[in-house]
Amino acid sequence: MNRRTVLTALLAGASAPLLASCSSGITSLKGDGAGGDSGNSSGGLTIGTANFTENQILGYLYAGVLNAAGVKTTVKPNLGSREIVVPALRSGDIDLLPEYQGSLLLYLDKKATETEAGAMQNALATVVPDGLEVLPYAAAEDRDSFAVTQETADRYGLKTLADLRKVNGKLVFGAAAEMKKRVVGVVGLKDQYGVEFKEFKALDSSGPLVKGALKKGDIDVANVFTTDVDIVENGWVLLADPKNLIPAQHIVPLIASRKADSKVRKALARLGNTLTTPQLTELNRLVDKEKRDPDRVADAWLKKHKLG
Amino acid sequence: MLELLKNLASWLTSPAQWSGPEGIATRVLEHLEYSVLATLAAAVIALPIGLLIGHTGRGAFLAVNLSSFGRALPTVGLVTLVFLAGGLSVWPVYVSLVALAVPVIITNTYAGMAAVDPEVKDAAKGVGLRGRQILWQVELPLALPLIMTGVRLATVQVVATATIAAYVSFGGLGRYVFDGLAQRDLVQVLGGAALVAVLAVAADLALGGLTRLLFRGRPAAAR
Repeated sequence: MNRRTVLTALLAGASAPLLASCSSGITSLKGDGAGGDSGNSSGGLTIGTANFTENQILGYLYAGVLNAAGVKTTVKPNLGSREIVVPALRSGDIDLLPEYQGSLLLYLDKKATETEAGAMQNALATVVPDGLEVLPYAAAEDRDSFAVTQETADRYGLKTLADLRKVNGKLVFGAAAEMKKRVVGVVGLKDQYGVEFKEFKALDSSGPLVKGALKKGDIDVANVFTTDVDIVENGWVLLADPKNLIPAQHIVPLIASRKADSKVRKALARLGNTLTTPQLTELNRLVDKEKRDPDRVADAWLKKHKLG
Repeated sequence: MLELLKNLASWLTSPAQWSGPEGIATRVLEHLEYSVLATLAAAVIALPIGLLIGHTGRGAFLAVNLSSFGRALPTVGLVTLVFLAGGLSVWPVYVSLVALAVPVIITNTYAGMAAVDPEVKDAAKGVGLRGRQILWQVELPLALPLIMTGVRLATVQVVATATIAAYVSFGGLGRYVFDGLAQRDLVQVLGGAALVAVLAVAADLALGGLTRLLFRGRPAAAR
Protein backbone atom coordinates (compact mmCIF):
# COMPACT_ATOMS: atom_id res chain seq x y z
CA MET A 1 0.00 0.00 0.00
CA ASN A 2 2.77 2.29 1.01
CA ARG A 3 4.67 1.67 -2.18
CA ARG A 4 1.58 2.36 -4.27
CA THR A 5 1.04 5.64 -2.50
CA VAL A 6 4.60 6.61 -3.27
CA LEU A 7 4.23 5.51 -6.88
CA THR A 8 1.06 7.48 -7.26
CA ALA A 9 2.64 10.53 -5.73
CA LEU A 10 5.63 10.18 -8.00
CA LEU A 11 3.47 9.84 -11.06
CA ALA A 12 1.31 12.74 -10.09
CA GLY A 13 4.20 14.97 -9.15
CA ALA A 14 6.88 14.18 -11.65
CA SER A 15 4.92 13.51 -14.80
CA ALA A 16 1.84 15.64 -14.40
CA PRO A 17 2.62 17.70 -17.51
CA LEU A 18 3.51 14.57 -19.46
CA LEU A 19 0.54 12.55 -18.38
CA ALA A 20 -1.50 13.32 -21.45
CA SER A 21 1.12 11.89 -23.77
CA CYS A 22 2.33 9.15 -21.47
CA SER A 23 -0.52 6.83 -20.70
CA SER A 24 1.68 3.78 -20.17
CA GLY A 25 2.75 5.05 -16.78
CA ILE A 26 -0.79 4.54 -15.64
CA THR A 27 -1.01 1.15 -17.30
CA SER A 28 1.94 -0.20 -15.37
CA LEU A 29 0.54 1.12 -12.12
CA LYS A 30 -2.80 -0.54 -12.82
CA GLY A 31 -1.09 -3.79 -13.78
CA ASP A 32 0.84 -3.78 -10.56
CA GLY A 33 -2.20 -3.16 -8.40
CA ALA A 34 -4.69 -5.44 -10.09
CA GLY A 35 -2.36 -8.42 -10.31
CA GLY A 36 -1.12 -8.01 -6.76
CA ASP A 37 -2.84 -10.99 -5.21
CA SER A 38 -3.55 -13.21 -8.17
CA GLY A 39 0.12 -14.18 -8.61
CA ASN A 40 0.46 -17.09 -6.27
CA SER A 41 -3.10 -18.23 -5.89
CA SER A 42 -3.71 -18.84 -9.59
CA GLY A 43 -0.53 -20.87 -9.90
CA GLY A 44 1.22 -18.08 -11.80
CA LEU A 45 4.63 -16.73 -11.07
CA THR A 46 5.43 -13.46 -9.26
CA ILE A 47 8.56 -11.65 -10.36
CA GLY A 48 10.16 -9.14 -8.03
CA THR A 49 12.76 -6.59 -9.02
CA ALA A 50 15.21 -4.41 -7.15
CA ASN A 51 15.04 -0.64 -7.14
CA PHE A 52 17.04 0.29 -10.22
CA THR A 53 16.26 0.63 -13.90
CA GLU A 54 18.15 -2.35 -15.26
CA ASN A 55 16.69 -4.76 -12.77
CA GLN A 56 13.18 -3.62 -13.64
CA ILE A 57 13.81 -4.08 -17.35
CA LEU A 58 15.08 -7.59 -16.62
CA GLY A 59 11.95 -8.29 -14.58
CA TYR A 60 9.73 -7.34 -17.52
CA LEU A 61 11.92 -9.36 -19.91
CA TYR A 62 11.43 -12.41 -17.66
CA ALA A 63 7.69 -11.74 -17.55
CA GLY A 64 7.43 -11.34 -21.32
CA VAL A 65 9.36 -14.46 -22.21
CA LEU A 66 7.44 -16.52 -19.63
CA ASN A 67 4.07 -15.20 -20.81
CA ALA A 68 5.00 -16.23 -24.35
CA ALA A 69 5.75 -19.71 -23.02
CA GLY A 70 2.28 -19.86 -21.47
CA VAL A 71 3.21 -19.08 -17.85
CA LYS A 72 1.11 -16.45 -16.12
CA THR A 73 3.24 -13.81 -14.43
CA THR A 74 2.92 -10.74 -12.25
CA VAL A 75 5.72 -8.19 -11.96
CA LYS A 76 6.34 -6.36 -8.69
CA PRO A 77 8.81 -3.68 -9.71
CA ASN A 78 11.03 -1.53 -7.56
CA LEU A 79 10.77 -3.49 -4.29
CA GLY A 80 14.08 -2.34 -2.86
CA SER A 81 17.66 -3.47 -2.41
CA ARG A 82 18.95 -7.05 -2.29
CA GLU A 83 18.51 -6.96 1.48
CA ILE A 84 14.76 -6.70 0.82
CA VAL A 85 14.14 -8.72 -2.33
CA VAL A 86 16.03 -11.89 -1.44
CA PRO A 87 14.20 -12.31 1.89
CA ALA A 88 10.94 -11.67 0.00
CA LEU A 89 11.83 -14.56 -2.29
CA ARG A 90 12.66 -16.84 0.64
CA SER A 91 9.37 -16.05 2.33
CA GLY A 92 7.41 -16.83 -0.84
CA ASP A 93 6.10 -13.32 -1.51
CA ILE A 94 7.84 -13.46 -4.86
CA ASP A 95 9.01 -16.44 -6.92
CA LEU A 96 11.62 -15.11 -9.31
CA LEU A 97 14.28 -12.44 -9.21
CA PRO A 98 16.82 -11.19 -11.76
CA GLU A 99 20.14 -11.32 -9.92
CA TYR A 100 23.85 -10.80 -10.53
CA GLN A 101 26.36 -13.62 -9.93
CA GLY A 102 29.10 -11.87 -7.97
CA SER A 103 26.90 -9.66 -5.82
CA LEU A 104 24.51 -12.50 -5.01
CA LEU A 105 27.34 -14.86 -4.12
CA LEU A 106 28.93 -12.34 -1.76
CA TYR A 107 25.53 -11.62 -0.24
CA LEU A 108 25.00 -15.31 0.48
CA ASP A 109 28.61 -16.09 1.40
CA LYS A 110 30.80 -13.21 2.53
CA LYS A 111 33.98 -15.29 2.27
CA ALA A 112 33.49 -16.39 -1.34
CA THR A 113 36.60 -15.92 -3.49
CA GLU A 114 35.45 -17.14 -6.93
CA THR A 115 35.67 -14.55 -9.70
CA GLU A 116 35.28 -16.56 -12.91
CA ALA A 117 31.72 -17.05 -14.19
CA GLY A 118 31.70 -20.88 -14.29
CA ALA A 119 33.28 -21.34 -10.87
CA MET A 120 30.94 -18.75 -9.50
CA GLN A 121 27.90 -20.59 -10.82
CA ASN A 122 29.03 -23.76 -9.02
CA ALA A 123 29.65 -21.82 -5.82
CA LEU A 124 26.21 -20.23 -6.06
CA ALA A 125 24.55 -23.64 -6.43
CA THR A 126 26.01 -24.73 -3.09
CA VAL A 127 25.14 -21.61 -1.08
CA VAL A 128 21.59 -20.76 -2.20
CA PRO A 129 19.10 -21.35 0.61
CA ASP A 130 16.86 -24.46 0.54
CA GLY A 131 13.88 -24.10 -1.76
CA LEU A 132 15.67 -21.68 -4.06
CA GLU A 133 17.92 -22.25 -7.03
CA VAL A 134 20.03 -20.35 -9.49
CA LEU A 135 19.33 -21.04 -13.18
CA PRO A 136 22.04 -20.83 -15.89
CA TYR A 137 23.55 -17.40 -16.32
CA ALA A 138 22.91 -15.03 -19.19
CA ALA A 139 25.41 -13.74 -21.73
CA ALA A 140 24.68 -10.22 -20.50
CA GLU A 141 26.80 -8.98 -17.64
CA ASP A 142 26.71 -5.83 -15.49
CA ARG A 143 30.14 -5.80 -13.93
CA ASP A 144 32.58 -3.34 -12.44
CA SER A 145 35.09 -2.32 -15.05
CA PHE A 146 37.85 0.18 -15.60
CA ALA A 147 37.42 2.62 -18.46
CA VAL A 148 39.74 5.03 -20.23
CA THR A 149 38.96 7.46 -23.03
CA GLN A 150 39.75 6.37 -26.58
CA GLU A 151 42.44 9.05 -26.65
CA THR A 152 44.19 7.73 -23.54
CA ALA A 153 43.96 4.17 -24.85
CA ASP A 154 45.56 5.18 -28.16
CA ARG A 155 48.27 7.31 -26.63
CA TYR A 156 49.55 4.65 -24.23
CA GLY A 157 48.45 1.55 -26.13
CA LEU A 158 46.05 0.35 -23.43
CA LYS A 159 43.94 -2.74 -24.05
CA THR A 160 44.00 -4.67 -20.79
CA LEU A 161 44.54 -3.85 -17.14
CA ALA A 162 48.06 -5.32 -17.49
CA ASP A 163 48.92 -2.56 -19.98
CA LEU A 164 48.41 0.03 -17.24
CA ARG A 165 51.76 -1.08 -15.84
CA LYS A 166 53.52 0.64 -18.73
CA VAL A 167 52.33 3.99 -17.41
CA ASN A 168 52.84 3.38 -13.69
CA GLY A 169 52.79 6.59 -11.69
CA LYS A 170 51.33 8.65 -14.55
CA LEU A 171 47.58 8.14 -14.46
CA VAL A 172 44.93 9.37 -12.04
CA PHE A 173 42.32 6.78 -11.02
CA GLY A 174 38.83 7.87 -10.01
CA ALA A 175 36.35 5.57 -8.29
CA ALA A 176 34.15 5.24 -5.22
CA ALA A 177 35.97 5.63 -1.89
CA GLU A 178 35.80 1.88 -1.13
CA MET A 179 37.93 1.10 -4.22
CA LYS A 180 40.98 2.44 -2.44
CA LYS A 181 41.07 -0.48 -0.02
CA ARG A 182 39.33 -3.13 -2.08
CA VAL A 183 40.84 -6.05 -3.94
CA VAL A 184 38.62 -5.08 -6.87
CA GLY A 185 40.31 -1.70 -6.92
CA VAL A 186 43.66 -0.19 -6.06
CA VAL A 187 44.80 -3.17 -3.97
CA GLY A 188 44.08 -5.89 -6.54
CA LEU A 189 45.39 -3.84 -9.45
CA LYS A 190 48.70 -3.53 -7.65
CA ASP A 191 48.93 -7.13 -6.41
CA GLN A 192 47.75 -8.89 -9.55
CA TYR A 193 48.78 -6.53 -12.33
CA GLY A 194 51.55 -4.49 -10.67
CA VAL A 195 49.71 -1.29 -11.51
CA GLU A 196 50.37 1.88 -9.56
CA PHE A 197 48.53 5.12 -10.08
CA LYS A 198 49.80 8.65 -9.68
CA GLU A 199 46.80 9.45 -7.53
CA PHE A 200 43.48 8.03 -6.36
CA LYS A 201 40.44 10.30 -6.39
CA ALA A 202 37.52 9.17 -4.25
CA LEU A 203 34.37 10.02 -6.25
CA ASP A 204 31.40 7.71 -6.90
CA SER A 205 30.80 4.37 -8.62
CA SER A 206 29.75 4.85 -12.22
CA GLY A 207 27.90 8.00 -11.17
CA PRO A 208 27.88 11.61 -12.37
CA LEU A 209 31.10 12.55 -10.54
CA VAL A 210 33.37 9.85 -11.86
CA LYS A 211 31.93 9.99 -15.38
CA GLY A 212 32.03 13.80 -15.44
CA ALA A 213 35.67 13.75 -14.33
CA LEU A 214 36.64 11.20 -17.01
CA LYS A 215 34.85 13.22 -19.67
CA LYS A 216 36.69 16.38 -18.66
CA GLY A 217 40.04 14.61 -18.40
CA ASP A 218 40.42 15.30 -14.68
CA ILE A 219 40.95 11.58 -14.17
CA ASP A 220 42.41 9.05 -16.63
CA VAL A 221 40.92 5.77 -15.44
CA ALA A 222 37.38 5.48 -14.12
CA ASN A 223 35.38 2.76 -12.44
CA VAL A 224 32.17 2.24 -14.45
CA PHE A 225 29.60 -0.55 -14.78
CA THR A 226 29.66 -2.47 -18.08
CA THR A 227 26.04 -1.66 -18.94
CA ASP A 228 26.45 2.07 -18.35
CA VAL A 229 24.99 4.03 -21.24
CA ASP A 230 27.74 6.66 -21.13
CA ILE A 231 30.41 4.12 -22.11
CA VAL A 232 28.92 3.77 -25.59
CA GLU A 233 27.93 7.41 -25.92
CA ASN A 234 31.45 8.64 -25.12
CA GLY A 235 33.31 5.84 -26.89
CA TRP A 236 35.20 4.88 -23.73
CA VAL A 237 37.44 1.81 -23.80
CA LEU A 238 36.91 -0.85 -21.14
CA LEU A 239 40.20 -2.48 -20.18
CA ALA A 240 40.09 -6.27 -20.37
CA ASP A 241 40.73 -8.32 -17.24
CA PRO A 242 42.70 -11.45 -18.32
CA LYS A 243 43.42 -12.50 -14.72
CA ASN A 244 39.77 -12.38 -13.60
CA LEU A 245 40.44 -9.85 -10.89
CA ILE A 246 36.89 -8.52 -11.12
CA PRO A 247 34.15 -10.98 -10.14
CA ALA A 248 31.81 -11.96 -12.96
CA GLN A 249 28.35 -10.41 -12.73
CA HIS A 250 26.39 -12.27 -15.37
CA ILE A 251 22.67 -12.02 -14.90
CA VAL A 252 21.16 -15.10 -13.25
CA PRO A 253 17.55 -15.93 -12.47
CA LEU A 254 17.12 -16.72 -8.77
CA ILE A 255 13.93 -18.76 -8.51
CA ALA A 256 11.82 -20.72 -6.05
CA SER A 257 12.42 -24.39 -6.94
CA ARG A 258 8.72 -25.28 -6.78
CA LYS A 259 8.05 -22.87 -9.65
CA ALA A 260 11.00 -23.90 -11.79
CA ASP A 261 9.36 -26.41 -14.14
CA SER A 262 10.86 -27.26 -17.52
CA LYS A 263 8.72 -24.68 -19.33
CA VAL A 264 10.06 -21.91 -17.12
CA ARG A 265 13.65 -23.15 -17.33
CA LYS A 266 13.58 -23.34 -21.12
CA ALA A 267 12.07 -19.90 -21.55
CA LEU A 268 14.56 -18.21 -19.22
CA ALA A 269 17.48 -20.05 -20.82
CA ARG A 270 16.44 -18.83 -24.29
CA LEU A 271 16.29 -15.26 -22.97
CA GLY A 272 19.68 -15.65 -21.26
CA ASN A 273 21.34 -16.92 -24.43
CA THR A 274 19.97 -14.09 -26.53
CA LEU A 275 20.45 -11.04 -24.32
CA THR A 276 23.95 -9.54 -24.57
CA THR A 277 25.63 -6.80 -22.57
CA PRO A 278 25.40 -4.18 -25.38
CA GLN A 279 21.71 -4.96 -25.84
CA LEU A 280 21.02 -4.57 -22.14
CA THR A 281 22.95 -1.30 -22.21
CA GLU A 282 20.73 -0.11 -25.06
CA LEU A 283 17.60 -1.05 -23.09
CA ASN A 284 18.96 0.94 -20.14
CA ARG A 285 19.52 3.89 -22.45
CA LEU A 286 15.96 3.78 -23.76
CA VAL A 287 14.59 3.95 -20.23
CA ASP A 288 17.08 6.30 -18.55
CA LYS A 289 17.82 8.73 -21.36
CA GLU A 290 14.73 8.55 -23.55
CA LYS A 291 12.37 8.13 -20.61
CA ARG A 292 10.52 5.17 -22.12
CA ASP A 293 8.68 2.74 -19.88
CA PRO A 294 10.63 -0.37 -18.85
CA ASP A 295 7.74 -2.74 -19.64
CA ARG A 296 7.28 -1.32 -23.16
CA VAL A 297 11.00 -1.39 -23.83
CA ALA A 298 11.21 -5.02 -22.69
CA ASP A 299 8.21 -6.08 -24.81
CA ALA A 300 9.57 -4.40 -27.92
CA TRP A 301 12.93 -6.10 -27.51
CA LEU A 302 11.32 -9.51 -26.99
CA LYS A 303 9.18 -9.11 -30.12
CA LYS A 304 12.20 -8.07 -32.15
CA HIS A 305 14.10 -11.18 -31.06
CA LYS A 306 11.03 -13.41 -31.46
CA LEU A 307 10.91 -14.27 -27.78
CA GLY A 308 7.73 -12.46 -26.82
CA MET B 1 28.53 -1.00 22.27
CA LEU B 2 31.29 -0.86 24.87
CA GLU B 3 33.63 -2.53 22.40
CA LEU B 4 32.78 0.13 19.82
CA LEU B 5 33.49 2.98 22.23
CA LYS B 6 36.78 1.36 23.19
CA ASN B 7 37.78 1.08 19.53
CA LEU B 8 36.70 4.65 18.97
CA ALA B 9 38.82 5.86 21.89
CA SER B 10 41.90 4.04 20.65
CA TRP B 11 41.27 5.35 17.10
CA LEU B 12 41.10 8.91 18.39
CA THR B 13 44.14 8.63 20.62
CA SER B 14 46.63 6.53 18.67
CA PRO B 15 49.64 8.64 17.65
CA ALA B 16 49.82 6.91 14.26
CA GLN B 17 46.29 8.09 13.51
CA TRP B 18 47.29 11.69 14.15
CA SER B 19 50.39 11.92 11.98
CA GLY B 20 51.11 11.75 8.25
CA PRO B 21 49.34 13.14 5.19
CA GLU B 22 46.16 11.22 6.04
CA GLY B 23 46.41 11.77 9.79
CA ILE B 24 43.91 13.59 11.95
CA ALA B 25 46.15 16.67 12.35
CA THR B 26 46.33 17.18 8.58
CA ARG B 27 42.62 16.52 8.16
CA VAL B 28 41.72 19.03 10.87
CA LEU B 29 43.89 21.69 9.22
CA GLU B 30 42.32 20.98 5.83
CA HIS B 31 38.88 21.15 7.37
CA LEU B 32 39.69 24.49 9.02
CA GLU B 33 41.12 25.82 5.76
CA TYR B 34 37.90 25.10 3.85
CA SER B 35 35.74 26.44 6.69
CA VAL B 36 37.64 29.64 7.41
CA LEU B 37 38.12 30.63 3.77
CA ALA B 38 34.49 29.89 2.93
CA THR B 39 33.14 31.82 5.92
CA LEU B 40 35.40 34.80 5.23
CA ALA B 41 34.35 34.88 1.59
CA ALA B 42 30.71 34.64 2.63
CA ALA B 43 31.16 37.49 5.12
CA VAL B 44 32.78 39.67 2.47
CA ILE B 45 29.79 39.09 0.20
CA ALA B 46 26.99 39.11 2.76
CA LEU B 47 27.93 41.87 5.22
CA PRO B 48 27.80 44.78 2.74
CA ILE B 49 24.51 43.52 1.34
CA GLY B 50 22.98 43.11 4.80
CA LEU B 51 24.21 46.53 5.95
CA LEU B 52 22.97 48.24 2.79
CA ILE B 53 19.53 46.69 3.04
CA GLY B 54 19.31 47.42 6.75
CA HIS B 55 20.46 51.01 6.36
CA THR B 56 18.29 51.96 3.40
CA GLY B 57 15.39 49.69 4.28
CA ARG B 58 15.10 48.89 0.57
CA GLY B 59 15.10 45.44 -0.97
CA ALA B 60 14.56 43.75 2.37
CA PHE B 61 11.68 41.63 1.11
CA LEU B 62 13.67 40.42 -1.89
CA ALA B 63 16.86 39.80 0.09
CA VAL B 64 15.21 37.93 2.91
CA ASN B 65 13.24 35.73 0.54
CA LEU B 66 16.24 35.08 -1.67
CA SER B 67 18.10 34.11 1.47
CA SER B 68 15.39 31.68 2.47
CA PHE B 69 15.58 30.22 -1.00
CA GLY B 70 19.35 29.94 -0.63
CA ARG B 71 18.95 28.09 2.64
CA ALA B 72 16.74 25.54 0.95
CA LEU B 73 19.42 24.66 -1.63
CA PRO B 74 20.71 21.16 -0.97
CA THR B 75 24.46 21.50 -0.56
CA VAL B 76 25.35 18.14 -2.07
CA GLY B 77 23.24 18.96 -5.12
CA LEU B 78 25.04 22.26 -5.54
CA VAL B 79 28.44 20.56 -5.22
CA THR B 80 27.50 18.06 -7.92
CA LEU B 81 26.17 20.80 -10.19
CA VAL B 82 29.31 22.94 -9.95
CA PHE B 83 31.47 19.83 -10.29
CA LEU B 84 29.75 18.81 -13.52
CA ALA B 85 29.99 22.35 -14.88
CA GLY B 86 33.54 23.12 -13.81
CA GLY B 87 35.33 19.81 -13.41
CA LEU B 88 37.37 18.33 -10.62
CA SER B 89 38.71 21.17 -8.48
CA VAL B 90 38.15 22.55 -5.02
CA TRP B 91 35.77 25.21 -6.39
CA PRO B 92 32.57 23.19 -5.99
CA VAL B 93 33.35 22.88 -2.29
CA TYR B 94 33.86 26.60 -1.80
CA VAL B 95 30.89 27.63 -3.93
CA SER B 96 28.51 25.46 -1.97
CA LEU B 97 29.90 26.38 1.45
CA VAL B 98 29.74 30.09 0.62
CA ALA B 99 26.20 29.62 -0.66
CA LEU B 100 25.36 27.99 2.65
CA ALA B 101 26.83 30.80 4.78
CA VAL B 102 25.73 33.89 2.83
CA PRO B 103 21.97 33.69 3.59
CA VAL B 104 22.57 33.28 7.33
CA ILE B 105 24.83 36.31 7.50
CA ILE B 106 22.57 38.48 5.33
CA THR B 107 19.42 37.78 7.33
CA ASN B 108 21.14 38.30 10.68
CA THR B 109 22.84 41.49 9.57
CA TYR B 110 19.55 42.81 8.28
CA ALA B 111 17.77 41.77 11.46
CA GLY B 112 20.40 43.53 13.56
CA MET B 113 20.06 46.71 11.55
CA ALA B 114 16.28 46.57 11.61
CA ALA B 115 16.33 46.17 15.39
CA VAL B 116 18.07 49.50 15.92
CA ASP B 117 15.59 51.83 17.66
CA PRO B 118 14.29 54.40 15.13
CA GLU B 119 14.38 57.05 17.88
CA VAL B 120 18.11 56.53 18.22
CA LYS B 121 18.49 57.08 14.48
CA ASP B 122 16.32 60.19 14.69
CA ALA B 123 18.41 61.48 17.55
CA ALA B 124 21.57 60.89 15.52
CA LYS B 125 20.05 62.82 12.63
CA GLY B 126 19.00 65.52 15.10
CA VAL B 127 22.56 66.11 16.31
CA GLY B 128 23.61 66.54 12.70
CA LEU B 129 25.07 63.14 11.70
CA ARG B 130 24.92 62.23 7.99
CA GLY B 131 23.75 58.96 6.54
CA ARG B 132 27.17 57.36 6.38
CA GLN B 133 28.06 58.55 9.88
CA ILE B 134 24.81 57.14 11.24
CA LEU B 135 25.60 53.78 9.60
CA TRP B 136 29.14 53.49 10.95
CA GLN B 137 28.81 55.24 14.29
CA VAL B 138 25.28 54.41 15.40
CA GLU B 139 23.64 51.55 13.53
CA LEU B 140 26.61 49.23 13.06
CA PRO B 141 27.75 49.25 16.69
CA LEU B 142 24.20 48.64 17.87
CA ALA B 143 23.61 45.89 15.31
CA LEU B 144 26.97 44.21 15.88
CA PRO B 145 25.86 41.63 18.46
CA LEU B 146 23.24 40.20 16.05
CA ILE B 147 25.65 40.44 13.12
CA MET B 148 28.20 38.46 15.12
CA THR B 149 25.54 35.90 15.92
CA GLY B 150 24.99 35.50 12.18
CA VAL B 151 28.68 35.00 11.53
CA ARG B 152 28.86 32.55 14.39
CA LEU B 153 25.89 30.54 13.13
CA ALA B 154 27.30 30.53 9.62
CA THR B 155 30.68 29.33 10.87
CA VAL B 156 29.18 26.43 12.78
CA GLN B 157 27.10 25.40 9.77
CA VAL B 158 30.08 25.64 7.45
CA VAL B 159 32.34 23.63 9.77
CA ALA B 160 29.66 20.96 10.06
CA THR B 161 29.09 20.88 6.29
CA ALA B 162 32.71 21.09 5.09
CA THR B 163 32.66 17.27 5.19
CA ILE B 164 31.29 17.44 1.63
CA ALA B 165 34.81 18.25 0.39
CA ALA B 166 35.40 14.52 0.69
CA TYR B 167 32.42 13.85 -1.56
CA VAL B 168 34.39 15.27 -4.48
CA SER B 169 37.66 13.56 -3.52
CA PHE B 170 39.20 16.29 -1.34
CA GLY B 171 40.36 16.13 2.28
CA GLY B 172 39.09 17.43 5.56
CA LEU B 173 37.41 15.41 8.29
CA GLY B 174 34.72 14.26 5.83
CA ARG B 175 37.35 11.90 4.40
CA TYR B 176 36.94 9.70 7.50
CA VAL B 177 33.16 9.77 7.25
CA PHE B 178 32.97 8.99 3.52
CA ASP B 179 35.80 6.44 3.50
CA GLY B 180 34.51 4.82 6.65
CA LEU B 181 31.02 4.46 5.19
CA ALA B 182 32.40 3.09 1.93
CA GLN B 183 34.62 0.61 3.73
CA ARG B 184 32.04 -0.31 6.38
CA ASP B 185 34.43 0.94 9.04
CA LEU B 186 32.08 2.26 11.70
CA VAL B 187 34.87 3.35 14.05
CA GLN B 188 36.34 5.59 11.36
CA VAL B 189 32.90 7.10 10.61
CA LEU B 190 32.23 7.79 14.28
CA GLY B 191 35.71 9.16 14.81
CA GLY B 192 35.32 11.57 11.89
CA ALA B 193 31.84 12.63 13.02
CA ALA B 194 33.01 13.20 16.60
CA LEU B 195 35.92 15.33 15.41
CA VAL B 196 33.59 17.42 13.23
CA ALA B 197 31.28 17.95 16.19
CA VAL B 198 34.16 18.94 18.46
CA LEU B 199 35.49 21.34 15.85
CA ALA B 200 32.08 22.94 15.35
CA VAL B 201 31.56 23.41 19.08
CA ALA B 202 35.08 24.79 19.45
CA ALA B 203 34.49 27.29 16.65
CA ASP B 204 31.23 28.36 18.28
CA LEU B 205 32.87 28.85 21.68
CA ALA B 206 35.80 30.72 20.17
CA LEU B 207 33.54 33.15 18.33
CA GLY B 208 31.35 33.49 21.41
CA GLY B 209 34.42 34.41 23.44
CA LEU B 210 35.47 36.89 20.79
CA THR B 211 32.04 38.52 20.83
CA ARG B 212 32.11 38.85 24.61
CA LEU B 213 35.57 40.39 24.39
CA LEU B 214 34.32 42.91 21.81
CA PHE B 215 31.35 44.00 23.89
CA ARG B 216 32.97 43.93 27.29
CA GLY B 217 32.14 47.54 28.09
CA ARG B 218 28.48 47.25 27.17
CA PRO B 219 25.49 46.71 29.45
CA ALA B 220 24.34 43.08 29.37
CA ALA B 221 21.10 43.92 27.56
CA ALA B 222 22.98 45.21 24.53
CA ARG B 223 25.22 42.20 24.09
